[in-house]
Amino acid sequence: MQLNRQQEGALRGEEGEARQLAMEILAKVGDAMEADSLVPISSAHVLAHYSSLHEAGIEMLEKFRDGGGRFAVKTSVDPASIDPQNWKSFGVPEEFAGKQFRLFRAYEALGGTGCWTCVQYQTCNIPNGGEILAWAESNAVVYANSLLGCRTNKITSGLDLACALTGLTPRYGMLLDENRVARVAFRLSVRDPSDLDYRSAGFYIGRHCGSRVPVLSDLPKSSTFDSLKHLGSAAATGGPVNMIHFVGFTPGCDSVAKATGGEKVEVIEIGRKEMEEVEGELNQTDEKADLVALGVPQLSLDELKVLAGALAGRKLRRGSSMYVYTSKQAYDEATGSGIRSAIEASGARLTHSTDGEISPLKEMGFRTVMTNSAKLAETIMSEGEIRMRYAPLKDMIAEATS
Amino acid sequence: MTESYSVRVMTGRKARGLALVSKKAFTFAHGVDPRNGNVTDLHSDLLGKNVKGSVLVYPYGKGSTTASAWFLETVRLGNAPAAVVTSSVDPAAVIGSVVAKVLYGVEIPVMLWSDAPSRMRSGDAVEVDAGTGTIRLR
Repeated sequence: MQLNRQQEGALRGEEGEARQLAMEILAKVGDAMEADSLVPISSAHVLAHYSSLHEAGIEMLEKFRDGGGRFAVKTSVDPASIDPQNWKSFGVPEEFAGKQFRLFRAYEALGGTGCWTCVQYQTCNIPNGGEILAWAESNAVVYANSLLGCRTNKITSGLDLACALTGLTPRYGMLLDENRVARVAFRLSVRDPSDLDYRSAGFYIGRHCGSRVPVLSDLPKSSTFDSLKHLGSAAATGGPVNMIHFVGFTPGCDSVAKATGGEKVEVIEIGRKEMEEVEGELNQTDEKADLVALGVPQLSLDELKVLAGALAGRKLRRGSSMYVYTSKQAYDEATGSGIRSAIEASGARLTHSTDGEISPLKEMGFRTVMTNSAKLAETIMSEGEIRMRYAPLKDMIAEATS
Repeated sequence: MTESYSVRVMTGRKARGLALVSKKAFTFAHGVDPRNGNVTDLHSDLLGKNVKGSVLVYPYGKGSTTASAWFLETVRLGNAPAAVVTSSVDPAAVIGSVVAKVLYGVEIPVMLWSDAPSRMRSGDAVEVDAGTGTIRLR
């Protein structure tokens, strides 16, 4: 990869220790990925939850901070492993919370926006079409490439900071036209898909696309951006998906042929049988759930409104908990508009700036968790300690309230 | 008999160890326990094996973009592989190795060799030299 004079200077340490390490990461990854150059980005999104970063991740971040690092572009941060406001009342161990607070402080020192969310594209970091981004967080990468007309690779931890601190990213992968052409087509043949069907369809695509970019046709015209958010998140959980061409929704994509560049590709149907295959993989048990968890990725205000309606007049049964993960923005808006109190009147609890798959659910005492999130189900299941149930919203509410 | 192969260097210096070869996609994120180096990923063909000090070989990475941080934590606790050889680039290993050098002074070679999973077998004695871009099998 070619570096210009200024970038070479940074690599030699002329712009301080933080930028030197950042530039070394950019140069090594750029060479590895056979990028030709570094290109400017308009925003970054970085990872910051203690449960995955561990002590070493904190030390990495503090190294950048102590080396004089400052984010060079707008930088949003992924959810934390705790709700910074309400963590005590959720039973998070003090020591665990202390680690996350070290990460909060380091990000603040680097100039983070103070926005801890995996749906930055709905809240605090909304790019314009055509922009080049360096975003970590797979659901947001799929959303930006598929629905916003932006270009971003799925940026690995460490590289995310290097991009944020320099405002640059290596030019490879999803930044290049030839890697964005659809090579396999999926066709949704389920009419009137449920909330769970959108997620299962995504997961199925992830499991069956291999390294090919997929196109998905025959989505109902009434599909919401929230539904596609969850579909994309599930796809990125099931396989190495960075983008889905949604016919009728992806900017400029009005047909399968448009996505494939006119090439003939394999067509795979997603019907009831395929949905059931996913449900079979993500459903481990039919035991009573001690936690019903909603929102991985975090729910939007619109989704909170729907939930408030579905919970109206219902109460959680004894021994059951329902946690609803959302962004700080949606939490504040829901608090102001009475939606939060409507949800919490049932006994369910809203929690912000965190998300289920990265919070210490085992330490909080849960053994069986029910969700309609394929990402939560797959992530927690692979750790092998909590048993997962995967079901639609209406079944989750029935489970928690009866 | 020693066989020597020229391969692409991603980063690092020299190492030697016994090969530990996976034929499947591999991840450190929720896949290796940093506290002991044990492979915990239920989908891995190395489930129950230990990566510490090995020359870890796999075709490509998968899963969470936090894999580099899991790799780094494994280095911090002294349970990392001695070297990593993949057949497609795994940015998590490259980044983990670059940052480990700065934080912990450990230079783990990361090499790219498309034939690695077919040419190497678990238990092979392997020397990896990122300086010359060679892998020697004995």
